[in-house]
Amino acid sequence: MGLSELLGTYGQNYLNGLLATWSMTAVSFVFVMVLAVAVTVMRVCPFGPLRVVGDLYVQIFRNIPGVALLILIAYALPDLKIVLDWRTCVIATTILLGSAFGSENFMSGINTIGVGQVEAARSLGLSFTKILRRIVIPQALRTTVLPMTNLLIAVMLTTALGSQVPLNPQELTGVVSYVNTRATGGILAFLVSAVGYVGTAFVISLVGNRIDKRVRILR
Amino acid sequence: MSALRRAARPRGTSMRDALYEEPGPRTRRKIVIGTVLSALLVAAGIAAVVRQFYVTGQLAPRYWSFFLEWTTWRFLLQGLLGTVEVAITAGVIALVLGLLLMLGRTSGVAPLSVVCRVVTDFFRGVPSLLLIYFFFFVPAQLGLKMPSFWMLALPVALAASGVLAEVFRAGVNAVPKGQVEAAVSIGLSPAKIMFKIVLPQAVRYVIPSLIAQLVVVVKDTTVAYVVSYPDLMQNARVLITSYDALVSMYLVVAVIYILINFLINKASVYVANRTGVKIIR
Repeated sequence: MGLSELLGTYGQNYLNGLLATWSMTAVSFVFVMVLAVAVTVMRVCPFGPLRVVGDLYVQIFRNIPGVALLILIAYALPDLKIVLDWRTCVIATTILLGSAFGSENFMSGINTIGVGQVEAARSLGLSFTKILRRIVIPQALRTTVLPMTNLLIAVMLTTALGSQVPLNPQELTGVVSYVNTRATGGILAFLVSAVGYVGTAFVISLVGNRIDKRVRILR
Repeated sequence: MSALRRAARPRGTSMRDALYEEPGPRTRRKIVIGTVLSALLVAAGIAAVVRQFYVTGQLAPRYWSFFLEWTTWRFLLQGLLGTVEVAITAGVIALVLGLLLMLGRTSGVAPLSVVCRVVTDFFRGVPSLLLIYFFFFVPAQLGLKMPSFWMLALPVALAASGVLAEVFRAGVNAVPKGQVEAAVSIGLSPAKIMFKIVLPQAVRYVIPSLIAQLVVVVKDTTVAYVVSYPDLMQNARVLITSYDALVSMYLVVAVIYILINFLINKASVYVANRTGVKIIR
């Protein structure tokens, strides 16, 4: 099957797939950031139980395979009388996985600042909130630009899990398997989807590098 | 990437503790109250989860009793063995491919360098599931018969090779420039410089990162059921149909995967701390 024939027959599917991948990535990433901040706050707060829960959260979702989590959410939760629609299942999986890595990025961002700076700030008489607002958070955010760009790409790749449940519309990976069960798409059918992923990743890392260059702290 | 060689922070002075001043009596009281309240909150959360399990009947013995039988675990262990086999095979292939891609990219031969860069970025920018579907559909369409083991091992290896190429490159960049300059000045050839001076040190820098990447490989193998290769997840699915116990089985399998990957990560951190290098992902 040639490219024109492939796109003529399934062009709309690919386009919808690309849009589905993009929209799931965008929605997931917003929640990934929110949840990552929340988990990081829990992990550095002075209350022991919350720290433990935060650490446990990160260890669990950093180490669980995406498919295992998706299956738990999509097929095990209904047995516990919690039924989510397919799209929500995929997005929830992506958010849980991504936020664990996001929190790790924030933590290592905080850790690169160095204890000395906080001690210096305190000896100058800055209050706790001022230390966080003026010293810790700005630097942590600036050093996490590049890791977070990589996380955004990882979140996009994770949405490929959507091919494991009956999504409508399907995302890019689901479209390829749909095309291939219907016709012999061959290598080309995969290349079209791959270009969608690689192209998006390229643009994301381009923008990420730009931002990073502008805000990076040279040490 | 000189940060790679930065020694690990001395233990005990973590940033999370440095954020707070030594608390006075009033703050200490507040912390105690906050700790108690948050403990109650966590306990309530756990209770709610257990209650949901109880109300929906998922705590019934029929969902858990078969875990007491040896046959269950033997079948799961067989699956785990399948997972280990395919993960190690994929890991070794990825190691070789990643190294080759890195050598090609840093070879200084323009066309080779460009090709290796494109290949690296391609495998890094494509979900492993897409590659798995590729090996599931395309060889069959071309009339090739491929065993399910390779339908899984090859795509997982390819996906990892892109990342490993970048890890190796970071290791190469971490070798001090002065050493390369010294090697050039005593007249070593570029190939000799790479294999005698740079690579031995670079590999040592990236060993913890390579171990950490094994986690990604293990995770990628969990979609083995797509190609019906009998790994841990696939065997669990078989057990689910025979015992009709979906929730308990998937939970146990998830915990097994989490423990395996947790241990791999721990090993990576242990090696990193011993050698004083940083883990790059």
